[in-house]
Amino acid sequence: MRRLTAGLLPLTVANIKSFYRDRASLFWTFAFPIIFVVLFGSIFSGGGGAFNVGWVDEDRSPAAQQLRGAFAEVSILVLTDSDRAVALEEMRDGTLDAVVVVPAGLGEAIMPSRTGPPFQLTLYTDPSRATASTTVTQIVSQVVNGINLSLAGVPPALAIAGEALQTQNISAAAYFVPSILAMALMQLGVFAAIPLVAQREKGILKRLNATPLARSTLVASNVLMRLLIAIMQTVIIVGIGVVAFGVTVIGSLLAVAGFIVLGAVTFLALGYVIASYARTEESANALTSVVQFPLMFLSGIFFPIDFMPDWLQPVAAVMPLTYLGDALRQTMVGGAAYAPLPVDALVLGIWLAVCFLLSARFFRWQ
Amino acid sequence: MASAVDTGSVVEVVDLHKSYGSVRAVDGVTFEMAAGEVFGLLGPNGAGKTTTIEMLEGLLKPDSGTASVLGIDVTRHPGALKERIGVQLQTASLYPNLSVIELIDLFGSFYAKRRPSGELIRELGLEERATALSGELSGGQRQRLSIALALVNDPELIFLDEPTTGLDPQGRRSLWDQIQQMRDQGRTILLTTHYMEEAERLCDRVAIMDHGQILEMGTVNELVTRHFRERTVRFATREGLTDEMLAGVRGVQRVAHESDETVLYTSEVPQTVGALLKLGDELGMHDLDLAVRRPTLEDVFIELTGRALRD
Repeated sequence: MRRLTAGLLPLTVANIKSFYRDRASLFWTFAFPIIFVVLFGSIFSGGGGAFNVGWVDEDRSPAAQQLRGAFAEVSILVLTDSDRAVALEEMRDGTLDAVVVVPAGLGEAIMPSRTGPPFQLTLYTDPSRATASTTVTQIVSQVVNGINLSLAGVPPALAIAGEALQTQNISAAAYFVPSILAMALMQLGVFAAIPLVAQREKGILKRLNATPLARSTLVASNVLMRLLIAIMQTVIIVGIGVVAFGVTVIGSLLAVAGFIVLGAVTFLALGYVIASYARTEESANALTSVVQFPLMFLSGIFFPIDFMPDWLQPVAAVMPLTYLGDALRQTMVGGAAYAPLPVDALVLGIWLAVCFLLSARFFRWQ
Repeated sequence: MASAVDTGSVVEVVDLHKSYGSVRAVDGVTFEMAAGEVFGLLGPNGAGKTTTIEMLEGLLKPDSGTASVLGIDVTRHPGALKERIGVQLQTASLYPNLSVIELIDLFGSFYAKRRPSGELIRELGLEERATALSGELSGGQRQRLSIALALVNDPELIFLDEPTTGLDPQGRRSLWDQIQQMRDQGRTILLTTHYMEEAERLCDRVAIMDHGQILEMGTVNELVTRHFRERTVRFATREGLTDEMLAGVRGVQRVAHESDETVLYTSEVPQTVGALLKLGDELGMHDLDLAVRRPTLEDVFIELTGRALRD
């Protein structure tokens, strides 16, 4: 045990000092995600941020009325009652941003005695207008999730649905805050490759290797430092989301923390894989970009994966960031699930295991 | 303080080999070091000095052969070995964003036994730069810091890999004083260098290496007398004095040129000097500035390998 703990704390402190004295790493770790949160938050919550949604009630039951009430309480949705043909026409000419259709049969479908598949609401959105479709899809999912959650409990279900909604403050920022946190955690890990390669190139790793310091301690201190930074990033990014954009964190803190740790460690392992293949600091820089940009843009960070072209969706389905973003959205703000949480954890776990084995095999200390 | 080792042998290396692909970096090296001795591995770049020293530090695994350092087998117990040795690497880079005192404290935390950081800073004359970031130090200061880090665990045996390469003459001299001081403290030192003057001044014994092998080993005196009975007479090369004329001067056995100097090897110094001055007078060269020296390690090296140390 002494082999592992000797020097662990001093080395971690030294790594942190070294880190915060380096302006570039500070920028990428803190300023970059903050800029993203503020930028996206402002774009999507800023002036005239309301969305016009056509409401087509083909059921006309009291349940449908109550459902409408639930949607009407969402401040950034402006509901217009209409029939299907007129509403779709208005969506085409741009008057409406989206249309929700409640088909006949809702009243019976949500009785506590119900059986069979879930009742389908139809949501029309326009993928060519990413902002509106992202936000409206997200909001509708959250309202429906809220109702489903309530229905799973004690009847009468619909009365509770209204309350569930009041606890959830829904906004576009609710989508972006967990996404940007996921992106920041990804960068924190992947960018670790650059100082690692630089330390190897300059002979720092070799010099450390000439002391009794165990290699496992060296790795452990890097993990420890990155986890501390991950906590700071979480506090800052989520803090801005809560204070400036009214995001409410509803999920279990334990689950959120679990995914933050799993994500940070997984991407750090990916950073070690990059450092195993890059020989120089320049090539580490290049390789880091090659890895991080597809992750950023093909993982549902900026828009849901459903909006990607069909041929790209399988790519997104293997990206680890897809699952970290999904898990954080689900656990933090009750976002619509891309995959069930255990699947998110499993996929991240597989990436972690593969990256760990690759870097254990190929990482060079000198 | 470093303790004496009762077996007498601090380092025992037998038939060490290490290859990189088809390059035999170290090709059958055998030597011993006694406690308190300063031993120098002397050779040009690529001779295998660094590979040898890094195998003894537990950084590289030998392909074959054995090496025992302070009674510890370097391949079997590198961890125990590293607790007790001091190491200064040739590529002496450190965390550029940490200060001198932070680095000494950090490295001290890796060892079970450690010396107070303040003491090391005083000993290496780094008081004024204690809070400076290592990236802002001059070459000489950085080298002294890296020596301080090698001394942080109060080691009995210290490895110094080209400690003065890249330093100006003043920095080199000040580092020599530090090394003398370590030796006076009773520490055993293995250093590599390609400066002949450094080896002559610091080392009790030297081994001349080239192409991964030790060509000669012994005290500087032994090596020089083993290869040269002659002395050398040197002067700044003059156009009017041809090699043919010089070869005819009394006592001269060989004429050589080293950069802009002419070097005459002779076993009869007074006769050669007299004849040479007379020859100069006859040619109107009244100001021949003669220097009589015994051949140096450099000459031994050229004799052994056919090339200069710094090539």
